[in-house]
Order: sequence, then structure tokens, then C-alpha cells
Amino acid sequence: MDKQVYELKKLWANKRQLTFQVLNLAMIVFSALMIWKGLMFVTLSESPVVVVLSGSMEPAFQRGDILFLNNAVEEVHVGDVVVFKIKDRDIPIVHRILKVHRNETTGKVDLLTKGDNNRVDDRGLYAPGQLWLQREDILGRATGTLRYVGMVTIALNDYPVLKYVLVGLMGLFVLTSKEG
Amino acid sequence: MAKKKSKSGSSPTKASQDPPVLQGVAVGANESDASGADPSTPTKGNSDYEDEVAEEEMELLQVDLGDMIKMKQVLDEGVSASLLDHVPENYQWDNVKLLLMFVSCAFAMTAQFAPIPFPESRPVLGVCGTLYFVLSGILQFITTFIDKDMILLTNPLPKPTSVKDESNSNPPKKSGSNKADTNTNSSTTINPLLYEYGLRVRSNFPRFSEFYTMILEFRIPKDDPLHSSIEEKSVKAVWSVGKFFDKEGYFDEVGLSNEVTKLFKRLEAQDYNGKESDKASKKKTE
Repeated sequence: MDKQVYELKKLWANKRQLTFQVLNLAMIVFSALMIWKGLMFVTLSESPVVVVLSGSMEPAFQRGDILFLNNAVEEVHVGDVVVFKIKDRDIPIVHRILKVHRNETTGKVDLLTKGDNNRVDDRGLYAPGQLWLQREDILGRATGTLRYVGMVTIALNDYPVLKYVLVGLMGLFVLTSKEG
Repeated sequence: MAKKKSKSGSSPTKASQDPPVLQGVAVGANESDASGADPSTPTKGNSDYEDEVAEEEMELLQVDLGDMIKMKQVLDEGVSASLLDHVPENYQWDNVKLLLMFVSCAFAMTAQFAPIPFPESRPVLGVCGTLYFVLSGILQFITTFIDKDMILLTNPLPKPTSVKDESNSNPPKKSGSNKADTNTNSSTTINPLLYEYGLRVRSNFPRFSEFYTMILEFRIPKDDPLHSSIEEKSVKAVWSVGKFFDKEGYFDEVGLSNEVTKLFKRLEAQDYNGKESDKASKKKTE
């Protein structure tokens, strides 16, 4: 730890080097961010990567799995696993499509969802008085998954302090290890 | 080379010609020896050893000898620091790189913080994202292919203005006519190229190798006729890292500084192949 402090002091003395290292760190952070934005752009989805938080889709998806979403699909069909958000609620839900009704004249589509591991469909979760979901509520269809990798996110969410500690440590090490 | 010197006989300066590795070890030993010689009153010895003791006052940097990257970094910084005593640094290229980084960060920030909700912001995201990756790619290209092993760029020496003193009343001319060297009594000329071109310092320290190579060459633009002979007009030195690090990892910054100054003097004297310095040392040992 002393070495890091020594390196930091040396950095602070040399402003040019400091700017360089700070910009380096910023570039690393922004690279990750821009990949995320790129995914958003391609998949047309607000959050192209989500973590499964509950066990309502077991045995297909466990708590802590990462899901990749694609919203650039025109229609969703019965049996698709989708992530949707109920109006005025923050947390998206990942369940399977149970019923699809398409009105031939207006073209409007009504959807009903249910979690594989739940006993009843999701009408209990929808907003009061809402019986069907619309296509706009859907954030995307699940197209890929990574088992258990999302546990880190869950831990960071449960203990927010960890977020700052982790980011702080990473930042410190990038600033003081000059490979550039 | 060191062996030749020690066999030269019982000259009183023998102690100062010990390979710096030994000096380094002695230095390291003194660090741990708390009740060692009082460093504030160095005796007027004729060897560098006494100077090393006097400089105990300053803390020596200790490096983990297995950490190749750190060692190269320490050596590079030492080289840059000692060279900048002789020539001014050039910030142009560095500024270009900094500007590129800054602009790409600006694009990334607009993509992130633009106050447009998602589906509508798609074009903005697309444009900023592509621009960010393009600039980032250019930067990587520069670092990999253009910078390669370069560690320092310098500007040409400022041309000395003519002085009233008669001995050096001639202002330096580009044709390389003799100029009086103000430092020494001999009539060695300072390499005229030093006034026209800046230097590029390149360093090479392969993984798991013990040899650190340093090259000082002129930055000659491609359309200049001298460009083809850059390599002939550069000086190169190869040192074992044992010369500057002792076995506990203490770094001999002064030793490196001396070696770099020697190399720079070779460049000043246009001694590109090291032949003249070899002659000089042979003369000493005779």
C-alpha cells in the first residue's frame, strides 16, 4: 500500500503525467461504457444485459444468471422468454409468454406472461386493472445466458458499499501502474 | 571491460573502477547497517565509494527484481531525467495524444450524459459511439506502430548566441565548422546535428532478459536527405541491469545518470560506434 501512496505522490508532482494517467483511466471506463451503449444501439433495448434476481423461472434460469436481450424483434411468440417492465415500476421481470392475442383489424397485440416456477400467471403483478401487456412494455427477448456470473451484481446491490470500494481500488491501481 | 581495468596494476584509482554492482551492494549493506559510517562528513577519498556513502542521505528506490515492467519503467524514467539535463523536452507529440484522448472522452461523455431518453437518442449514441471507437483505434495504432519503443522526444539545442569572449566569437554554422567547446580545453566540436534536430530516445528491455538497450537517435524528417543515415548517426548502449540494481533491488540512480551522460557525450563528439571511447579507455590503462 505504501508503494501506491508513493506512486500517487510522484504523480501529483508531475501534472502532465497525472493528466495522462487520469485520461487513461477515463478511456478504460469509457470503453466499457461505449460497448454497453453499442449493445443498446444494436439490440434497441434499454438494458441489453440483465441479471435474474428471483427464482421464478427455475429450472431454466437461476438467481444470478446473466441474460442477453434483443429487442429488435417485431413480434414475440408464445414460449419466448421476455423481460418486461410494468408501468411505474422500476424492476424488470423475466418470465415466459403464455398467451398472445392479435387483433386482426387494429393490429394491436395483447400478451400474458407467467413465470415457469410460479403457480399462477402474472395478472397479480400487473398494474391494478391491467389484464394484458403490450409490445411496448417488453424490453427484449432473452437470446443468451451466462450462468451465475451475475452473482457479483447481486452482491454489489445488496451491499452498496462494495461498489465504491471496488471502483476505488480499481481506479487506484490503474492510476499507479504505468504501462502506457 | 571491468576485468581489464582491475588487472591494470596497483593504480590508486583502482577502487573507483570497481564494477558498480559492488558499489551497489555496499550501498545496500549500508542501508541495513544503522550504525554505519557517519555520512555527513565524507572523507576526501579518491574513490567514488565515499561519494556513495555521502549520498546515503537520499533514499534509494527499491524495486522488486522480478517485476520486469517496473524495472523498465524505473530505468526509462532515470534515463529521461538525466537526459533532460542536457536537452529540452519536446511536448508536441505528447500533446497530440492527450488531445486525442480528451476528444474521445468528450464524445463518450456526450453519449452517456445527453439528456435524451433512449429510443430517440439512438442516432446520437450511434454517432458518438463510432467516433469514440475510431479515435480510440487511432490512439492504439499510434501507440503500437508509431511510438513503438520510444520513451522520450527532445527539441534541438538552442543555438548559442555569439559571445563577446574572443575564443568563441564565431556563431555556429550549419556546415559543421569547428566551434570551441566551452566545457573542455581541447578543440572537440559539439555535434552540429544537435542544434538542428531533436532526439528520439528508444529503449528495449525484453522480458526475462538482463540487458537493457538504449538508443539515442536524431529525429530527422522523411524528406530530409540525412534521413537514410539515421541509424549510422545514432549511439547505442547495452547494459546489464546488474549495473544499476543490487541483489535486493536498490536502484543506483546516480550510476545510471553517469552512464547516460557518458552516452550523450559520445553523441556530442559524433562518436557513433564507440570506437573513440574505446581508444580513450585503452589509453588510460596503458
